[in-house]
Amino acid sequence: MREGLGFILFLIALTSICDTINQLFLKSAINSLFSPSGNIREILRFIFKLLLVPRVWVSFLFSLISLCIWLFVLSQVDLSFAFSADSMHYIFIALASRFILKEKVCFKRWVGIILIVVGIMMVSVSVS
Amino acid sequence: MIKVFKKKLTLKILVFLILTDFLETFTHLCFKKSALTESDFVINKLPDALIFLQSVFSSGFLWLGLFSVVVTFIIWSSLLSKIDLSVAVPVCSFSYILIPIASIIFLQEKVSLFRWSGVLFILLGVVFVSLSASEKEHILE
Repeated sequence: MREGLGFILFLIALTSICDTINQLFLKSAINSLFSPSGNIREILRFIFKLLLVPRVWVSFLFSLISLCIWLFVLSQVDLSFAFSADSMHYIFIALASRFILKEKVCFKRWVGIILIVVGIMMVSVSVS
Repeated sequence: MIKVFKKKLTLKILVFLILTDFLETFTHLCFKKSALTESDFVINKLPDALIFLQSVFSSGFLWLGLFSVVVTFIIWSSLLSKIDLSVAVPVCSFSYILIPIASIIFLQEKVSLFRWSGVLFILLGVVFVSLSASEKEHILE
C-alpha cells in the first residue's frame, strides 16, 4: 500500500488536471454565450444552446477521462482520503491562472494554497 | 445597487447550497460503491483497464451517481446566477466534512484524528482561496 501511495497521488493529480482543463473549456464556452436570467426554463434553454458549442464536448471528453481515473482511484483507496486529496485542483487552477492566463494571484490565495498542500500531506500520511 | 441586493445570500439559496453538498456526497458514495467490488483489481495493460471500466459501468450505483451529478450541475448553475462564486464555494466545501462522515457511516472507513486535522487545513485553505476571489470582485466594482 505504501509504495502505491505515490502512484495513487499521481492519479489523483491527473484527475485534478483533467478537471481543471474541463473547467477552462467549459468556462470559455459559457463566456461565448449570454448568461441566462434566473428562471428554470431559460436555464434549460441555455444548457441546450451550450451543448451546441464544440468546446463543451472537449470539456465532456476530459471529464469522462477524469471519471474513469477517479473510479480506479476509488477502487484502491478510502473515499475520505481520495476526496480530500482531490482538493489539489485548487492548486492547479491557481498555477494555471498565474502561468498560463498570466493573472495576478494575490497573497490570500497563496496562503490558502499552502494550507491546502499541508492538509493534503496530513491526510496522505494517515493512509494505512 | 439592485445587483448587489440580488446577490445576497438568502435562506432559500443557502438550503439549496447545502442540498448540493449532500448531493455531492451522495455522488461520491455511489462512485465508491460501484468501484468497491473491483478493489482487488490490478491494472497492468490497457485491456485490463477496459475490463475494469466495463464492470464498473455495469453497476447501478455508477449510474445513480451520474444522475446525481447532472442534478447537482443543474442546481449549481442556476444558483451561480443568483450569488457570487466566492460565497458559494465556502458553503459547498462543507462536503469536505460530510464525505469523511459518510465514509465512516456507510463504508466503515476509519478516519483518524490526524486525518481530520488535515481536512481542517484543506477547509481553511479553500476558504482563503475563495476570500481572495471576493477581494477581486470588490476591485472590479
